[in-house]
Amino acid sequence: MKLAVFVSDYRLTVDTLDRLTADKLGIILVGNGVYHASIKDKGKASSLLDKSAEFYALSEDLDSRGLGSKDIADNVKVVNYAGVVDLIFNDYEKLAWL
Amino acid sequence: MATTNLGFIVQRPPYKSENPKLALTHAIASQSVEVYLEDGDIVTCDIAFVGDGVLNCLKDQKAADIYGLTSTETQVKMALLLDINVLICKEDLDRFGLSEDDIVIDAEEFGADIETKVVPYAEIAAMMEESKHLLFF
Amino acid sequence: MGKLTIGCFASLVGSMNLDFTVKLAGAALEKGHKVDLWLSGNATMLSIDKQRAFKDYSSLEKPLKELMAKGLKVTACEACAEARGYHKDNTLEGVDRKSMDWYLASTFDADRVLHIGGE
Repeated sequence: MKLAVFVSDYRLTVDTLDRLTADKLGIILVGNGVYHASIKDKGKASSLLDKSAEFYALSEDLDSRGLGSKDIADNVKVVNYAGVVDLIFNDYEKLAWL
Repeated sequence: MATTNLGFIVQRPPYKSENPKLALTHAIASQSVEVYLEDGDIVTCDIAFVGDGVLNCLKDQKAADIYGLTSTETQVKMALLLDINVLICKEDLDRFGLSEDDIVIDAEEFGADIETKVVPYAEIAAMMEESKHLLFF
Repeated sequence: MGKLTIGCFASLVGSMNLDFTVKLAGAALEKGHKVDLWLSGNATMLSIDKQRAFKDYSSLEKPLKELMAKGLKVTACEACAEARGYHKDNTLEGVDRKSMDWYLASTFDADRVLHIGGE
């Protein structure tokens, strides 16, 4: 299964996400989920980013939250809406919004 | 003739949020979806309760008496009546110290022929694998 | 080109999920995909016409109308809308109202389904 998971919260969804398995897992950070890409808690990056997955963060949601010019984790690719559409249709078969 | 199977995953407890109720009402609506489709085409649903979502399946809910609302217990029974596959995560029941005695298993009073299935999470993961699309509530 | 069915259950005011939904639908249409949008639960709020736009609240009537003109098909859950006092006579022009089976039927031939639950 090629699964893209939209993470839209900063803290609330990790339990559900931890249990999801897929041959190919993509995590698309949107809404408040984009904080995972940049904010460090006591100096430590979000544990979400330790998962074995491809990570993406929506540029508009980074920008709107003041994260546009901040450091983004190296394993997170910044995409715009058109990029999200391409991920949906070209890279993954199923979608989950958490 | 074709079938599209949807996997509904309910991860929230009932009542504070409308999500679990809408998961059940949408799954139940699969019974009338044919009106929009060609003859022989159908949409089927499996519905799985995981995490805090297993709390939707507790027995003896009194929401009808207290709020005048259909309880999620009753809606789970309606789903059984309509032969919708209802899966409940065993590990999450265990986590809450709940057993099959505490949750909806059958809906005999509604005339349902099938029962809910308490299964390991791995079986729910398999259902998600087999579903064409996933809907998380 | 494919078909994307989006179901959104989150409120227009109090959540940004409908803003995301409309922007994503627009980007998908722009790339030539077909998009169905199902509004259920609190998201049926998007289907009401003549909402006053304030800077402090999401207001999507204008972009939604533009996308519908480009082919976006929008359907609101009739029961969810009626339960909230949103009636046919104050529904945004072009937005359909159906029962929940419409959403499931839309998924039948959808290449991708993005179900955005409520808050």
